[in-house]
Amino acid sequence: MNDDTIIEVKNLKTFFYTNQRCNKAINGVSFKIQKGKTLCIVGESGCGKSVTAASIMGLLPRLSRIEEGEINYHSKQHGHLRIDQLEQNGPTMRSIRGGEVAMIFQDPMTALNPVYTVGSQISENLKYHTKLTRKKIKLKTIDLLSNMGIPIPEQRAKEYPHQFSGGMRQRAMIGMAMSCNPQVLIADEPTTALDVTIQAQIFELMDTLKKDHDTAILLITHDMGVVTELADDVAVMYMGNIVESGTIVDVLRSPAHPYTKALLKSIPILGKGKTQELEPIKGSTPDPYDRPKGCQFHPRCEFATDKCQEVPVDEKISDSHSVMCWHYREVLNNG
Amino acid sequence: MLSYAIRRMLILIPMLIVISFFIYSGLELMPGDAVSYMIDPEAAAEISPEKLDALRDSLGLNDPFVLRYVKWFGGVLKGNFGYSLSSGVPIRDIVFDRLPATLELSFIALILSTIFGSVLGFISAIRKGSIADNTLTIVGMLGVSVPQFVFGLVAILIFSLKLKWLPVGGRLMPEYVTYWDRFPHIIMPALVLAATMTAGVMRYSRSSMLDSMNKEYIKTARSKGLPEWRVNLVHGFRVALTPVIVLVGFRLPTLIGGAVVIEQIFQWPGIGNEFITAVRGQNFPLVMMIALFSVFAVLIASFLVDLFTAILDPRVKLG
Repeated sequence: MNDDTIIEVKNLKTFFYTNQRCNKAINGVSFKIQKGKTLCIVGESGCGKSVTAASIMGLLPRLSRIEEGEINYHSKQHGHLRIDQLEQNGPTMRSIRGGEVAMIFQDPMTALNPVYTVGSQISENLKYHTKLTRKKIKLKTIDLLSNMGIPIPEQRAKEYPHQFSGGMRQRAMIGMAMSCNPQVLIADEPTTALDVTIQAQIFELMDTLKKDHDTAILLITHDMGVVTELADDVAVMYMGNIVESGTIVDVLRSPAHPYTKALLKSIPILGKGKTQELEPIKGSTPDPYDRPKGCQFHPRCEFATDKCQEVPVDEKISDSHSVMCWHYREVLNNG
Repeated sequence: MLSYAIRRMLILIPMLIVISFFIYSGLELMPGDAVSYMIDPEAAAEISPEKLDALRDSLGLNDPFVLRYVKWFGGVLKGNFGYSLSSGVPIRDIVFDRLPATLELSFIALILSTIFGSVLGFISAIRKGSIADNTLTIVGMLGVSVPQFVFGLVAILIFSLKLKWLPVGGRLMPEYVTYWDRFPHIIMPALVLAATMTAGVMRYSRSSMLDSMNKEYIKTARSKGLPEWRVNLVHGFRVALTPVIVLVGFRLPTLIGGAVVIEQIFQWPGIGNEFITAVRGQNFPLVMMIALFSVFAVLIASFLVDLFTAILDPRVKLG
């Protein structure tokens, strides 16, 4: 584990058990989150992005559990830890959660408790993770709000979430997450519920935080535009696997997996006019309880052959770039 | 908040007038009048119609409807609630005699049911699917569906007749001096009343709590690393409490009109008991006053509910 790696996930498998059936929501995922870098996990709904985040945060719902694999975390307070082996609501996990690893959620409209003031909700985090006095907590809360670009923070801290606009609530959420200077910030589609202009502001804010505090960011999204904007590294997920990962240049310039390629093709290009033809990915996502054999993408893949009935191995294209496909050479050459 | 409260109080006046008019008209539609009740039919057959008419005249029963209403309501405003037709006792005395008994019974039941109901509902929700939850669900269903009189009678059978722990009914005895002398009498009616009310509050607070625990802010609270009790109580329960308070608030009126069945079973000398007797005896003035009191209680309760929800939920704006 090199020094910059804060979280290393190795062959993680998280399964859900419902009605006697097992949904392999994450089926062997590996990646690293590094200091001062943004890792984007991209993929369509239900591919396991959020479950990955929940696994790291120890916030998995009751019917799911980590079956296999490791989540190695290098904690400031506790040293080296295996998050997958910690008790989900145990004291160690709780001291990490919100303190060293913080999370922001998709919908800032519902993520803040409507009956408490924004200030008190931020203070709550400080109260549980720092030893500051009440007075200092109050000052720090106001300070955080003003750092997040919220005007009149003294006043705003005393207001309730419904008095904030969507963008401001997300800023407050980020302020709350950043309150204890976390090493890792996990953002689960933080701008999906916001206007485009507000999105840009939020990303700018996250980027500044990353640079100022050397925070590692794990950004979960399904928006390729967001990826280009923010990511240093990208991991593309499909049906519980990371099918391709690499630096942003690797993945966007020379996509090696047919799925990545298809995803990139399906994005409308601004300014190309009404005549442009979008190329949606053929077919639809398989039923997680009735998965295809071998490569999960082969029923929808134009490169599919009989070989694809077998699960592909992780192929290294370069030091940073790896892909899970039998035919990646063809895909690369066709690009 | 204060100006809102004052405005709401002022709105109560026209509402009360309109409703009192409806109550008066409703009773006007009932067959027979005071005279036909006061004199038994056998005797009435022998009295000449002129005499009966004169009697009606003297009671003001022959006045036009609106005039009679105005006279009655004017009297009510002045604190003159009229006289009971059956005994001639001022209604004010009856009401103020009976009201404390009912309030005592209902307040105890309301407080017990609110506390137990919300706490049990809370436990049931955070232990969803456990043995405790299933037991409470079954007990709650029984509590909601079994009529009060069954509970009451079973309780009397067990605790009064078999075990002889508690008195069968009543409230006061000549030798009772202190409150504790008559305390045993209130235990059973209050508990039976509270039990049925608890069941409802419990079911309601359980579903409200489950609803609250599924919200995103619970995830946020957990992601902050808060201990589970704080997530449940401070974040989950606090939000879940608002609808429960509304439910309890709307039960406030039962404090006055309410526990009719329980009062009957336990011979509790409350206003509910009096109400039944008055309706049976076509004792119009008394029926009207009790109805008016109940309406007044409903209006006050809805006003209080509004205030409480505004205090509990900052999103509610009064105005």
